[in-house]
Amino acid sequence: MGIQFKDVGYQYKGIKVNYDALSGVNLNIAEADEFVAIIGHTGSGKSTLVQHMNALLLPTQGEVNVLGQILPPRKKEKINHLRQKVGLVFQFPEYQLFEETIIKDIMFGPKNFKSTEEEALEKAKKAATIVGILPELYEQSPFRISGGQMRRVAVAGILAMEPKILVLDEPTRGLDPKGRKDLMKIFKDLHEIEHKSIVLISHDMDIVSEYAKRVIVMDKGHIVFDGKKEDLFEHPNFESFHLELPTPLKILKHLEKEIGLPYEPKYDFDSLLSYLKEANHE
Amino acid sequence: MNNVTIGQYIAGDSWLHKLDPRIKLFSLVILLVATFLIPVSSDLTPLFSMIVLLVLVIGLTISSKVPLKKVLNGLKPIVFLLTFTFVIQLFYVKTGQMVAGPFDMYISVTSIAAIILFLVFYNFTKKYIKFRILYFFLAVFIVFFLQAILPYVELTSYTIEIYDQGLLRAGFIFLRITNVIILTSLLTFTTMTTDLNYGIEALLKPLKIVKVPVDMIAMMLSLTLRYIPTLLIETEKIMKAQASRGVDFKESTFKEKISQIISLLIPVFVISFKRSEDLGNAMEVRGYVIGAKRTRIDEYIISLKDILTIIIATLVLALVIYLRVI
Repeated sequence: MGIQFKDVGYQYKGIKVNYDALSGVNLNIAEADEFVAIIGHTGSGKSTLVQHMNALLLPTQGEVNVLGQILPPRKKEKINHLRQKVGLVFQFPEYQLFEETIIKDIMFGPKNFKSTEEEALEKAKKAATIVGILPELYEQSPFRISGGQMRRVAVAGILAMEPKILVLDEPTRGLDPKGRKDLMKIFKDLHEIEHKSIVLISHDMDIVSEYAKRVIVMDKGHIVFDGKKEDLFEHPNFESFHLELPTPLKILKHLEKEIGLPYEPKYDFDSLLSYLKEANHE
Repeated sequence: MNNVTIGQYIAGDSWLHKLDPRIKLFSLVILLVATFLIPVSSDLTPLFSMIVLLVLVIGLTISSKVPLKKVLNGLKPIVFLLTFTFVIQLFYVKTGQMVAGPFDMYISVTSIAAIILFLVFYNFTKKYIKFRILYFFLAVFIVFFLQAILPYVELTSYTIEIYDQGLLRAGFIFLRITNVIILTSLLTFTTMTTDLNYGIEALLKPLKIVKVPVDMIAMMLSLTLRYIPTLLIETEKIMKAQASRGVDFKESTFKEKISQIISLLIPVFVISFKRSEDLGNAMEVRGYVIGAKRTRIDEYIISLKDILTIIIATLVLALVIYLRVI
C-alpha cells in the first residue's frame, strides 16, 4: 500500500501560459519503516510533490494512490479522511495556530476527524508529551510562547491525529541548532519506535545525511535520483545534481587529501567523532 | 482564490502599459465621467453612444494584450447585481410601447413548488456547467417562466408588461456597469502599483494646499493594493495547513463552517499584523520619514503618445456633452 505515484504531472495555471510543476513522476513510498528525504533547489517541485500525498493538490496527469484511494477521485468520493492518515506539516507551521489555549489547538485536528472531546483531549496530551510540551503550558495561549515551542505545538497538532505517514516540509527551517536537533530527535523516535514512515523535505544536507535512509533528488519537476543515501553521496556523477556534500563527508574528504586519512563514509557527527578517535589511537 | 482580480498587475509591454500613469489615471477619470454623463434614457442616441463607448473600451483591452477573458472575469462578482437591476428596470418602467405581454404571473402552490424544485436542481447542476453566467441568466428566466405557466391552486397573481422603454433602459444600465468595471480593471491590470501610487499622488497634489497629507494617502493606497495578492497567498497557505488538520471547506455543515472560518481568520490576522510591523520597520530602516521630501528613481516624462491619449479621451467627453446638450 503506502503511497504510489504513477506518471504524475501537475500544472499550475498561469495568466497566459501553464507552468509544469511536476512531470513524469513515478514514486513508491511504503506505509511503514521508510525515512525519505526529498531534496532539490527552490522551485524544483518538492512542495508540490508532497501536497499530492494528502490530496491537497490533485494530479493533472497520471494518478496517485494514497493508501488505496486513487487520486484524482471519482465524483462524490470524499478524500478528506486521507489528511488524517497522511499528516502534513507545512513550512513555518506555527502560523496555523489559532485557539485560545495550546491544548485546544492540538485537539483541533482530532476533533475535525470525529473524535469526541475526551478522545481528542487524550490524543492531544499524548502528542504534547511526544513533542515535549509540559502540562503546565497546556492552558497558556499559543501566541505567548517562544517560536521553537510554537513549532512543537504545531507539530503536535498534526501528531494528535495519529497519522500513519508523516510528511514534513522543511520542519527545521528558522530554528537554532539545538531546536533543530530536538525536533529531529522527535521524528527519529517516531520512526524507530513506532515504525512510522516519514517523508522530509530539507535543504540541510547534514540533516538529510544523518536521519534519512532514502533520498529523492528533484530538479525542474522531475525526479533525477531515487535511492539509498549511501548511493547518492558516492554517486560518480554527484556534481551533476548541484548539491552540497554533508559536513562530515566534507571533513573526511579533506582529511584524506591533506593527511592521507583513509576515507570511510560517516553520515553524522557522532560516528565521525568516534572514527577520528579510533584513527588517532592507531 | 484566483478569481479576485483587484490589484493584480499583468506584466506586458503594450502602449497602455507604457502610458504615463498620471495620464492613464486622468484619462480613466475622464472616460468614467463620460460614461456617467450619457443620460439614462431610452432614446436611441444615448444607447448607441454607450455601445460605441463599450466597443472603444473593448478595443482598448485588446490593444493592451490583457486577455479579454481575464477582464470579463472581474464581472463575475457582480453578476447578481447586474441581473437584479436588469429585472427591476424591465418590470417597473411602464412608458413607451408595450413590446411583450401582458403576462399573467401566478404565485401558486404549484409554481412555488416548481420554483423550489428548480432551484435545487439548479444548485446541483451548476457545478457541471461550463458557461455558468449564461446558466444563471437562464435560471432567472425560468423562475419567471414557471410563474407564468403554473396557475393551479392560485394564492395571488400579478401582471408583467414589458415596454420597449424598460427594455432599453435595462440594457443601458447593464452596459454602463459593464463599461465601468472593464475600464477600472484595465487600469489595475496595466499599471504597476508604484506607478499607480505616483499617478494618484500627482493628481491629488492640488489638495496639498489645504493641508491634505497627499503623499501619505498615496502610500497607504499603494501599500494596500500591493498587499492584496500577498495576503491572498498567505490565506491560501493557511487554508491548506488547516485542511491538513481536517478542516474541509467543501464537505462540512454550517455549524462546522463557523469554527473553520475562525481557524482561518485568526492566523491571517496574526500574519498581517506581523507583516505590517516588519514592513514598517523595513521602511524606517531605509530612511522613510513621513512627510519628508522624497525623490524618485524614475522620472516620468510626458510624450506625444500621452498627449494624444488625453486629447482623445477629452474628445470623447466633449462629444458626450455635446450629444447631451442638443
